[in-house]
Amino acid sequence: MAPLSRRLFLIRSSMAAAAAGVAASVPGVVGTLGTTAADAPAADEAVTGADSETAELSEPLVAHIKDLSTGEISLFNGTREVVTHDPQLANQLFRAAR
Amino acid sequence: MSSHREAPEISKDPVADSSDLYAFVSPDRPDTVTIIANYVPLQGPDGGPNFYEFGEDVLYEIHIDNTGNAQPDISYQFRLQSDLTNPDTFLYNTGPIQSLTDKTWNRRQVYSLTRVEHASKRVAVLGKKLPCPPCNIGPLSTPNYSALAGAAVSNLAGGISVFAGQRADGFYVDLWAIFDLGVLRPFQADHATFGLANTGLAKMATGINATEGVNVHTLALQMPITQLTRDGASPTDTTSPSSVVGVWTTASRQKAKVLNSNPAKNVETGPYVQISRLGNPLVNELLVPLSKKDHWNGQPPAHDKQFAGGVSNPELAQLLPVLYPGVFPNLAACNAASPNRAELLAILLTGIPSGVVPGFQNFTTHTQSDMLRLNMAIVPATKPSNLGLVGGDPAGFPNGRRIFDDVATIELRAVAGATLPLVDPSYKADAAAGAITPGLTSGATDLTAMGTESYLSSFPYLGEPYSGFVAAA
Repeated sequence: MAPLSRRLFLIRSSMAAAAAGVAASVPGVVGTLGTTAADAPAADEAVTGADSETAELSEPLVAHIKDLSTGEISLFNGTREVVTHDPQLANQLFRAAR
Repeated sequence: MSSHREAPEISKDPVADSSDLYAFVSPDRPDTVTIIANYVPLQGPDGGPNFYEFGEDVLYEIHIDNTGNAQPDISYQFRLQSDLTNPDTFLYNTGPIQSLTDKTWNRRQVYSLTRVEHASKRVAVLGKKLPCPPCNIGPLSTPNYSALAGAAVSNLAGGISVFAGQRADGFYVDLWAIFDLGVLRPFQADHATFGLANTGLAKMATGINATEGVNVHTLALQMPITQLTRDGASPTDTTSPSSVVGVWTTASRQKAKVLNSNPAKNVETGPYVQISRLGNPLVNELLVPLSKKDHWNGQPPAHDKQFAGGVSNPELAQLLPVLYPGVFPNLAACNAASPNRAELLAILLTGIPSGVVPGFQNFTTHTQSDMLRLNMAIVPATKPSNLGLVGGDPAGFPNGRRIFDDVATIELRAVAGATLPLVDPSYKADAAAGAITPGLTSGATDLTAMGTESYLSSFPYLGEPYSGFVAAA
């Protein structure tokens, strides 16, 4: 199962807001995520650079923050579940949802 | 019941609730095996205008273990799709449904059938857009139901027949009585009644079939035996491990769901999570405590060791001598000695090894796992007993399960100690253990238990569903 990068998740999340109204349906979260994307680790840049032009959300993507302290987030897309650990992202999503 | 509404959570999700599983060598086509998995239990036939159907968001599967490791080697997957012909009417049908393509039939389902070979990861779509029949509504809406249902039997490449749709529930049990603190009408005068007087139980009575008149939704497959064996051969040696397959069914839903006020925009995503499972009848129903039943539903058979304590020392076995004082003295003595009922573990969780019942075995693995185990080298009986193996008929339960097998009586007797001498010759079963029954048949050769007279002699074997019109008359 291929890992889903944090940057790609952010991009797809914002797409999901428009496409499916799921992950980023909280007002203002798209902007928040956009800001966050600019701070993404360098390791993700290649992925982002490659996908930002071409990525399309063909299926809904849902994020489930399981633990804010560890940043454990389950991402559901198609028939896949990818678990990522990113406390910063988890907290940003949490704040966006408040 | 066999597995109808057997756990708290799944009882609230009937389209995913497996109620019965059958697997047998087809009596009219003995080179094939028939497997039937029932879902959507206890359907009142008059339940319109939105008549019953499968869940289109549920993945239904029938699994086969042909290598004796309690893991699926082959899975058959059913995926349903609902279609609406006319969005502007509230009616299920706007005229008589004369054919499966009749435009008067408004709400219909089609399905795909996929075969997965797990070792090779080979996935084959065996059929697409296969039609389900409508529900049996009444003489105006479904005037020739037999023809409609017959047209919904799809014959696929490779000699496979498949059917998905409504059928009469073939399982029979006296629910009215058994869940009233263990009443068995033929023995009710011996019930302790908790000291209550004037209960109306003073006289013995015959059983009442609680599933008479209700329907289910059936997934039925018939395929050549050679498609199920590990080596592709047709087994003839009843003693060979390769003659035995383990069978179970599961229903799964996707892990994440986001509801929308417009259900057409609901989002379901993520991997499928198993929420219902069924192998042997009554295992989760009778042998697993309430707090663990839904957990059991989510587990693979290979993890069933965690539930083995409920099989080796069943709560029901402890209750019988209490509910029926003086009737089961030998069982009471067995209970007092911290029993480890090896015969029940064999029947339900490992299969019966050679040497226990002369000339018979359906052993698959020492890995305790609830699977319906079928020795496919055993030919169909010419004079079947509804008591299966305990009735001297090795073609019946617990060698797989036929639709007419009286599994409630068989398992009651086994739990009561009737089969314990198989592994402990020093144990003398109580006389009542060999006679106990819910009282729904006239005897072991009665294959038409009350309310189930409509069994068919050919695929899909379960009878035509009860008509809402007739049921209400």
